[in-house]
Amino acid sequence: MREILKMIVVLTCIAGISGFALSSLKQVTAPTIELQLLTFVQGPSLKQVLPDYTNDPVQDRKKFTNPLTNKPVIVFPLKVDGQLKAIAVEGFGGGYGDNIGAMVGFNPENDSVVGVGITVQKETPGIGSRAFEPAFLDQFKGLSEADAKLKSDGGVVDAVSGATITSAGTAAAVQDAGKVYSALKDQIIAAFE
Amino acid sequence: MAGIWKEFAKGLWAELPPFRLLLGLCPVLAVTTKAENGLGMGVAVVFVITLSSFLVSFIRKIIPKKVRIACYITIAASLVVSVELLMQAYAYPLYQQLGIFVPLIVVNCLILGRAEAFAGKNPVHLAVADGLGMGIGFTLSLTFLGAVREILGTGEVFGVQVIGGSFEPVKFMVEAPGAFVALGLILAGMNWLAIVQAKRKGLPAPENPRTGCDACRACAGLK
Repeated sequence: MREILKMIVVLTCIAGISGFALSSLKQVTAPTIELQLLTFVQGPSLKQVLPDYTNDPVQDRKKFTNPLTNKPVIVFPLKVDGQLKAIAVEGFGGGYGDNIGAMVGFNPENDSVVGVGITVQKETPGIGSRAFEPAFLDQFKGLSEADAKLKSDGGVVDAVSGATITSAGTAAAVQDAGKVYSALKDQIIAAFE
Repeated sequence: MAGIWKEFAKGLWAELPPFRLLLGLCPVLAVTTKAENGLGMGVAVVFVITLSSFLVSFIRKIIPKKVRIACYITIAASLVVSVELLMQAYAYPLYQQLGIFVPLIVVNCLILGRAEAFAGKNPVHLAVADGLGMGIGFTLSLTFLGAVREILGTGEVFGVQVIGGSFEPVKFMVEAPGAFVALGLILAGMNWLAIVQAKRKGLPAPENPRTGCDACRACAGLK
């Protein structure tokens, strides 16, 4: 009995101390990790959306609450010489392996897509990943939200043959970003002007 | 002092983890596409193995024998998650490169092997020396393997062009099969060196592969 008790106490103590240490460490590092994600994941994808922006969108980012899901959404303004050229929102769509994240820039004047950049993806290299090449992504440029779907779903975008699921997932991510943008458009424009 | 040095130095050559003990081969094969990745992975392992050796050795008298493996794993897992968080916070590009292999350090048999075979039975200063030596040996091996593969596969190492001119990079070496080929050649080289050394001393050539408990001296100090 004593032996069993000792085992329980020792293991509980070790697990408890570990848990406490890790949760403290997580809290301490959380802001730094968020900044790193912005710099290394979302930042580079903004270059794909609109290569010639002149502001620092990561610095100018603002947080909104998505009225559809009540979750926080980070919105990046892309400006050229002080003029708001695009509003970038990240959307997610189911791919072949986990969700595909797409950073989609919308033109605030006519709501068309300015460009699409990929943030996170775990698609098969060389097969699914071909849907992340400009040949596919550039098709979205200038489309309205309603047209930015695959042809099979009533849009105008050609899927990459051999990478159908990834193409559909990317299009779904663009649609997802579009929904967030439409829901928040007035707030976003009011906040950035 | 001599004891500490002995425990530290055995990890650097005599019991070099990936090439002599053949422990922890999964990350050895998977992350060594570049010397830099090997070095990064190695540093993460040094951190985990040294601290886990220290902690395990420190509380070795409190841990009941029957749940010792669970205790070791809890300690190693906590350290690995700390490394993962710190790497995400301060070395994000490296974290992106290493990906899943950082959390997998917890099941690297090297960590548990040293905790079970050494740290759980030896005083703190020897356990730390052992962990540090093994970790540094692991780092050097990974960096060496990574450098060999990177030089042959891309002609560069740490971003510096080493072989230029008409050299056509052997792309194969930075792909998965190249890891097996490079590791196999290095192991062959290590065995050849062992034979040459034995001959010079006038001893019979060691049998390759050495079999049985004699193959590794991991627990030699305990008997």
